[in-house]
Amino acid sequence: MKYLPTIGIECHVQLATKTKLFSEVDNDARGKEPNSCVSPVDYALPGMLPRLNGEAIRLAILAGRAMNCKINSHSRFDRKHYFYPDSPKGYQITQFYEPIIGEGFVELPSGTKIRIEHAHLEGDAGKLTHFDTYSLVDLNRVDTPLIEIVSMPDIHSAKDAHDYCKELWRLMIFAGVSYGDLYNGNMRFDVNISLAPETSKELGTRAEIKNLNSFRSVERAVEYEITRQTKLLEKGEKIIQETRGWNDASGKTTAQRSKEEAKDYRYMPEPDLPPINLSADFIDTESAKLPPMPKDYRDKFHGIIADDILEIMLDYPQLINKTNEIDQKHLKSISNLFVSVLLAEEKSAEFLNDLPSAKDLNELAEMNEKKELSSTATKEVFLRLFDPQMKNRGAKNIAKELGLIQENDLGALEKIVDIVLAKPETKKAQDDYKNGEQKVIGFLVGQVMKESKGKANPSAVQDILKKKLA
Amino acid sequence: MEIKREDILHLADLSNFSLSEKEAKSLEGDLSNIIKYISQLDKLDTKNIEPTYQVFEMDNIWRADEILEQDAKREDLLALTKESKDNQIKVPKVL
Repeated sequence: MKYLPTIGIECHVQLATKTKLFSEVDNDARGKEPNSCVSPVDYALPGMLPRLNGEAIRLAILAGRAMNCKINSHSRFDRKHYFYPDSPKGYQITQFYEPIIGEGFVELPSGTKIRIEHAHLEGDAGKLTHFDTYSLVDLNRVDTPLIEIVSMPDIHSAKDAHDYCKELWRLMIFAGVSYGDLYNGNMRFDVNISLAPETSKELGTRAEIKNLNSFRSVERAVEYEITRQTKLLEKGEKIIQETRGWNDASGKTTAQRSKEEAKDYRYMPEPDLPPINLSADFIDTESAKLPPMPKDYRDKFHGIIADDILEIMLDYPQLINKTNEIDQKHLKSISNLFVSVLLAEEKSAEFLNDLPSAKDLNELAEMNEKKELSSTATKEVFLRLFDPQMKNRGAKNIAKELGLIQENDLGALEKIVDIVLAKPETKKAQDDYKNGEQKVIGFLVGQVMKESKGKANPSAVQDILKKKLA
Repeated sequence: MEIKREDILHLADLSNFSLSEKEAKSLEGDLSNIIKYISQLDKLDTKNIEPTYQVFEMDNIWRADEILEQDAKREDLLALTKESKDNQIKVPKVL
């Protein structure tokens, strides 16, 4: 029997605010000492009151609009109770009943639309590190603002699960709401997956794979679960509703806890935080600040930049931003340089933060198009534009200094061709060519290139040679 | 609604409290009485009344996104813990 997987994904996104969701503490704990970015509000000493960070509201609106979501004019917070050392309050402040972000959708590069059920604001938990006999708690991450994005179960393949997560990441980066640093857990994914016979109207029992932190692990975990659940169903066994963990090294999911012991979270309205009431004006004003999204660039560049090149560039907002300054007619060639030359470089991450000026890039593309630079020379000059010692001199000067400008002056080229043809060592090749052995032209072009010290335009040389030997 | 022994134990488990036999028994009675007392509200007709989530008539209390120096330092936090190690709070192993 053929089974259809049905997948829904919950994604936690850390917002790039300066301070935490409910306290005036530094929200950027990267490279800082454990428990150094934490206040009594975060660990809920008696009498401490949370105060909502207005910037988190603004970023939530942008995140929502990036996903084509309705922004709810009314939302509020609830307490979700559970006991765990990563949460000193004994509860998490979240939006269970009335979230700030309503329904919407994310469109994948393939055109498939994945509906968003809702997204809500909440505080992150602390970080636990486990040792042999004990665990250590670092509270720096407590109440870092998160939005949790809940998709509808609209995903039906490992690839779409991957593409959905990646597109969400792009949306959050382009909207400027998160640093999107997956390595540091800025975005984490929980994947719900069930299988049902293709003809069935009902969904199967689902397993939830928690805390995936890369697109690749989402894809692999879904592939693994499809295989695991298919095998069980084919043997006539039941799928247990449970939470499973993913092990990247073994490439397997393993059972963590079954829903039987599922927590009763005892939600209650958060009494310390007044509700959020947003006027239509405020929502409109904030929504208008949303920068162009990947979809806008796909529409704009369709037919100009090849789709596969553009999809790669969409992973690098710095590159996409640069396209706004570049001459339309050079977009294609410069995009190709970005993707084929720059991203292949070892230092590309460094380079991305310090891209050449649009003027230099346009100049370079122009020289290439006028055939003043061969494609190899163009790549060479392009890379020199990232060299701190050379970049300030400009594309044209660099090309000149490196002696890379091709000789296109037909008169000058003709003279060089004549010199080469006068050389006794080319006599045999000339005769061979005249006798119909066409491929020796390559040898002759090579000789001319050598004579010109590599500056001649080889296709122009070939034309001249053919005329002279005809 | 009657509070049974197992409800008490379930709640204690969720909150990670250990209860003596005596405490559990007394809570059973106390919680039942509290529920009974609150249940009197069920008799009121609330058909046309909006739910109340908070009693202050306030909304949109937001603050600016500016970092403020905190009076309480890490040492103050760690002083509240039973055990600490490497500036972190040490707890029995959880996984």
